[in-house]
Amino acid sequence: MRIVIAEDDPLLREGIALLLRAESLDVVATTDSPDAFLAAVDAHEPDVAIVDVRMPPTHTDEGIKAAVEARRRRPGLAVLVLSAYVEQAFATELLAGGPDRLGYLLKERVGRVEEFLDALHRVAGGGTAIDPDVVAQLFTRSRPDSGLDRLTARERDVLALMAEGLGNTAIAERLVVTEGAVHKHIRSIFAKLDLAPTDRADRRVAAVLRYMENTRG
Amino acid sequence: MAVARPAWRRTVLAHARTVLDALEHLVGGLGTALLAFIALLWLVLAGLLCAVGVGLLLRSTLPRVVRVVAERERARLSRWGPEIIGMGPAPARVSEAFADRVVRRELGWLLVHGTLGLFLGAVGATLIVQAVQDVTYPLWWRMLPPDQASPSLVFWTVRDNGDALAVSFFGVLLAAVFVVLGPVTARLQAWPGRRLLAPPPDVDLSLRLAQLTANRAAALDAHATELRRIERSLHDGTQNRLVAVTVLLGATRRALARDPDVAAALLGQAHDAAEEALTELRTVVRGILPPVLADRGLPGALAGLAANCGVPCRTDIDVPGRCAVSVEATAYFVTAEALTNISRHSRARNAAVTLRRHGDLLSLRIEDDGVGGADVGKGSGLAGIRGRIEAHDGTLTVTSPPGGPTVLQMELPCGS
Repeated sequence: MRIVIAEDDPLLREGIALLLRAESLDVVATTDSPDAFLAAVDAHEPDVAIVDVRMPPTHTDEGIKAAVEARRRRPGLAVLVLSAYVEQAFATELLAGGPDRLGYLLKERVGRVEEFLDALHRVAGGGTAIDPDVVAQLFTRSRPDSGLDRLTARERDVLALMAEGLGNTAIAERLVVTEGAVHKHIRSIFAKLDLAPTDRADRRVAAVLRYMENTRG
Repeated sequence: MAVARPAWRRTVLAHARTVLDALEHLVGGLGTALLAFIALLWLVLAGLLCAVGVGLLLRSTLPRVVRVVAERERARLSRWGPEIIGMGPAPARVSEAFADRVVRRELGWLLVHGTLGLFLGAVGATLIVQAVQDVTYPLWWRMLPPDQASPSLVFWTVRDNGDALAVSFFGVLLAAVFVVLGPVTARLQAWPGRRLLAPPPDVDLSLRLAQLTANRAAALDAHATELRRIERSLHDGTQNRLVAVTVLLGATRRALARDPDVAAALLGQAHDAAEEALTELRTVVRGILPPVLADRGLPGALAGLAANCGVPCRTDIDVPGRCAVSVEATAYFVTAEALTNISRHSRARNAAVTLRRHGDLLSLRIEDDGVGGADVGKGSGLAGIRGRIEAHDGTLTVTSPPGGPTVLQMELPCGS
């Protein structure tokens, strides 16, 4: 797995590179600006890019723009975006072209090395990784009449994990239930939210996010 | 042990103050009454001239004249009673002015204050002047020519000291009359203004409100810029340091089992990163508000900076009162940055810091006799501070020709 990192803070950039190299992952380039990042994507043909949202010159959403542009130049590039705080507009902009090979994590998640590596591998493998905090915010912002209130507590847990991008096996592990039980919950959720039933992880995230996006208050 | 003043003395002092206030108000009222009288004459003149056509040219000045005089009285009355808010500019056209209830009430006030108010003010002022003249009369009446030796308001002819002493008693009587009637007269004189110049209860104050809102919005905007700056330094600086700490700690945990030596090295890096986070946090907090400003005020804080400067630095600081906190902080940071630059780069032998306040403008000047050639461009610490100054609607100019001298001038609205 060839990795490019775009992060303007030197200490954090080197820290992430060090962490990944210690896990025997191949960090081919570390860059500190959107331009240098795009050049590195062209030059090194990476499989995954880890991109900070706030980068020079304006320190607002340069990272999102650079990630979108990098995917345009190199279709199939997996991108994991790191954000200083939960901003739903960033997540929405990023996921506009579909959630395949995309991740959106809060920066502090990097310190939870197992979770971070899990998200990295999931994204590189074609899946999606959405930060639990982002998902939680989507839930709290959804309108009361959106149908979410008809879900049971356990169904909400399952939906949140689905939105994070977890598959049925991973959800079953997290909730300590059987896969069959998860499957039953998911069918019930799709029925209550009028979503097309499907088992593919990316489609499920897309469906859930779009549903929440459309019903946001 | 404190010695309490006897009750009668306190009562006398309170009365004396009331009488002096009444005198001040009556004389002040006399001033605006004279203005009102002149404005009334102007109105009559313009009216007469309108009849022959020429006055049409004067018509447009009328609402403004009325408003200017009324605003003076509003400001005067606001100084010693309930505040009467100003009404801003008058309607430009006479027809609009006559349709405006505020202007109509101002006209009514003009009529009363220009006549009755003038009369009351004149009576009060005459009374007190006469009282002073008559009381002191025995001291100087002999200097007058014998045929003019009777003061006005006195009906007997003064021929000897006895007559003069009688004049003095009469003066005391006049003063007593003023003591009794003065405060009542002052209130009576102010009454039409308080009634007619206050906004009618249901008047539309939206225009006035809009002006105040605009000022407030500008202040809030500067405040928001400041908050954004703080948010940015917390998110991009301090938080990144702390995330780096967690990343390094996470890596350490993973390395512990595999290679304790690597883990030890990582732990050392994590430690360094945590210390950097602390330093960063301290810088951010100091950047919000240097503690010395709260302790010693801006003059004390600047004097402290000058004393610590590597180059002998003179200070000339004359700023009465305090400015808005963020303004003082900005002036402090500009001085700190400029003095640091002088110590490091200027090779100056002398430096000087001058701080003045002109009305609402805080003016800071920092100069040195060094080599000049200072650059405020990218990368210099002053570039960051310029943004802060501009957020407060201020200006920063630096003149620094090669060979010196370097002069840095900052103007900043005080916001207080």
